[in-house]
Amino acid sequence: MSTRNDQPQTEHFTGHGAEWRAANLSSEQAQLATAWVEQKIDRRSMLTNKDRVEDVRDVMWQLEKDGEIVVHRVEESHQPAMVKTLYGWDKKIPTQRLWHHKSCGQCGNIPGYPVSLLWLMNELEVEYLDETDQTSCTAWNYHGSGIGNLESLAAVFLRNFHQAYVAGRAEGQPNGYYYPLVHCGTSFGNYKEVRQYLLHSAKLRERVKQILGKLGRLVDGKLLIPEEVVHYSEWLHVMRDRIAARQEVDCSSVRATIHPACHVYKMVPEDAIYDDAILGGNRLAVSTGIMQALGTQVIDYSTWYDCCGFGFRHIISEREFTRSFAIDRKIRVAVEEAHADVMIGHDTGCITTLDKNQWISKAGGKALELPVMADCQFAALACGAHPFKIVQLHWHASATEGLMDKLGIDWRAKKAEFEAYLEQVKAGKPEHLYDPRRMITSGPGYVRIERRP
Amino acid sequence: MTHATATRFETHIGDPVSDVPAVPRSELEEIFKDIQSDQRYDHELNGCLNCGICTATCPAAHYYDFSPREIVQLLWTENLEGIYDAMQEKIWACAQCYTCAARCPFGNSPGGLIMLMRETAIKHGMESAKSVLRPFSRVMLKLISTGNQLAPDMITADHFPDWGPNISKVNAPLKVLRQAIPMPTLNTTVTAWEVNLKTSIELYTIWEETGVLKQLETIDENLFDVIVDFMDEKREDWKDWLADQEDKDED
Repeated sequence: MSTRNDQPQTEHFTGHGAEWRAANLSSEQAQLATAWVEQKIDRRSMLTNKDRVEDVRDVMWQLEKDGEIVVHRVEESHQPAMVKTLYGWDKKIPTQRLWHHKSCGQCGNIPGYPVSLLWLMNELEVEYLDETDQTSCTAWNYHGSGIGNLESLAAVFLRNFHQAYVAGRAEGQPNGYYYPLVHCGTSFGNYKEVRQYLLHSAKLRERVKQILGKLGRLVDGKLLIPEEVVHYSEWLHVMRDRIAARQEVDCSSVRATIHPACHVYKMVPEDAIYDDAILGGNRLAVSTGIMQALGTQVIDYSTWYDCCGFGFRHIISEREFTRSFAIDRKIRVAVEEAHADVMIGHDTGCITTLDKNQWISKAGGKALELPVMADCQFAALACGAHPFKIVQLHWHASATEGLMDKLGIDWRAKKAEFEAYLEQVKAGKPEHLYDPRRMITSGPGYVRIERRP
Repeated sequence: MTHATATRFETHIGDPVSDVPAVPRSELEEIFKDIQSDQRYDHELNGCLNCGICTATCPAAHYYDFSPREIVQLLWTENLEGIYDAMQEKIWACAQCYTCAARCPFGNSPGGLIMLMRETAIKHGMESAKSVLRPFSRVMLKLISTGNQLAPDMITADHFPDWGPNISKVNAPLKVLRQAIPMPTLNTTVTAWEVNLKTSIELYTIWEETGVLKQLETIDENLFDVIVDFMDEKREDWKDWLADQEDKDED
């Protein structure tokens, strides 16, 4: 069989129409033809759609005006900092009275991630609540398995955010006292996407309202929608100068690469923070901003825009893809091209993927080693946090010892201190970042604040 | 002009020289209708000129026979046979990074469309969904019965041998290491953080009300039964606690 241009056709594809013909380019020609689209997803490329994108918050304010919803506002008491997003819109980032919306992957697997964040908040005297009345956002499961749907995602989102709104009451504070701060990038992207659909669909609102009514999770009989959905990396970003002011460790010799999380800036991209003073305002500002403020050398690399390979389903059941992508497209490039000392991320799945998949690179004939941690973990180290008691680096599979040597941290001594501390833990005397009684705000185990000794 | 004489999907849809039974047209239409009737469909699909930016930036396209451009084209041209074929395997290759959505000049979200197709594959109890999701059982059990997707006791060297020996660099029992985390909510081994009983019951109510349990039953009936038994017990515990409170109030 021959084709219209007399080239042999060895394979047929569906979905292209019968007129489709293979280009039969050599690999070099194919690379030349497509390189321009592989390069980057920069601000300029996304600005092409600006005129067609609405600010969904306009819809939100109108719905509140119409009496349809109640908006959980970022109040002055939350001491907001203003930032600019992709299209130059303003976003309010609360800096005080924060309710921690934890990440299942971080808490289960990289506990130094949330601990470092809370430790920084203690250092900066930020009031917060970390409690047990929170579920996973369920979006990791949804994106991996397809089990779930828009209604379930929306109901979980509004349930958790309603709890953030009322949580202060357990401590004698009014509704809205705390504002939710989302730790996970996927929760952050998913909640923003779901908020858009909720604001645009009366049908979805009605359905979810019935469910939340059943749970007793309405405010004045209405759905509660947050004014802003805020990721912890955004809090870290606006606090970067205050954090840098407390820095104890010189980081100027560290070459840092940043891995930006897809669900932080590719989902609902108009809400991601861009800053003209950071990477020319052409790339996501968070993480790079704090690392620059701490004095590290942030090194660019050619696969900055690539995902990590987590895949949601793949990390659980098809890790051949995950580890191949993580090693070939991220770790190898950061090591061989950028000569990095560390890779910094701001999301659960990315840190897990990039950190855990290095050991297997030995099977490919070349062992690659690159410390991987979250921006807040590095910031805590720079501010003098204990690398094991606080930053909990023993949970990381990647080799962090060389980085600590470079930072002048005596990790051997610190590790010995931590091992001694474990004896204290075994004796039932663990140290905590806050009063453990605060973590239960209702139900079994809750003690009213006035009854606490 | 020469036309294609055989395609891969025909082995699924009804190959005249194969014993595989043909899929009735009505079923193909029903599957497409389920995808198309999702309220997100028109938001995620706006048009397509086959530019291929989505596929050029797609991580899964590096390693699988998968192209987000192809998925968009199948839906845009309402190629029912091709859609059915893609749901047998290809839709499970997507890594859900949404790089395609960030790049598409039409504002399409191939990653978002994939999710509608995955949900539909589950609704129709497709074998592809059942086999792909079999390794997910442990995660589903944990998530639906506790409210947490991932727990420390799931991260063991047995389950992740390719992660190497450094699951923890400090040699101590998991329970002790977890108690040494200075966030009290994290001093657990069976969930990522301690979840309030009331909270997990609220989440379970959401699963029931939104049809998620029905999805689960379609895919894995045994797992569904285990979860229902488990949650019935939790609900009893919650009722008992509420009754205790009433007794205390009366006292």
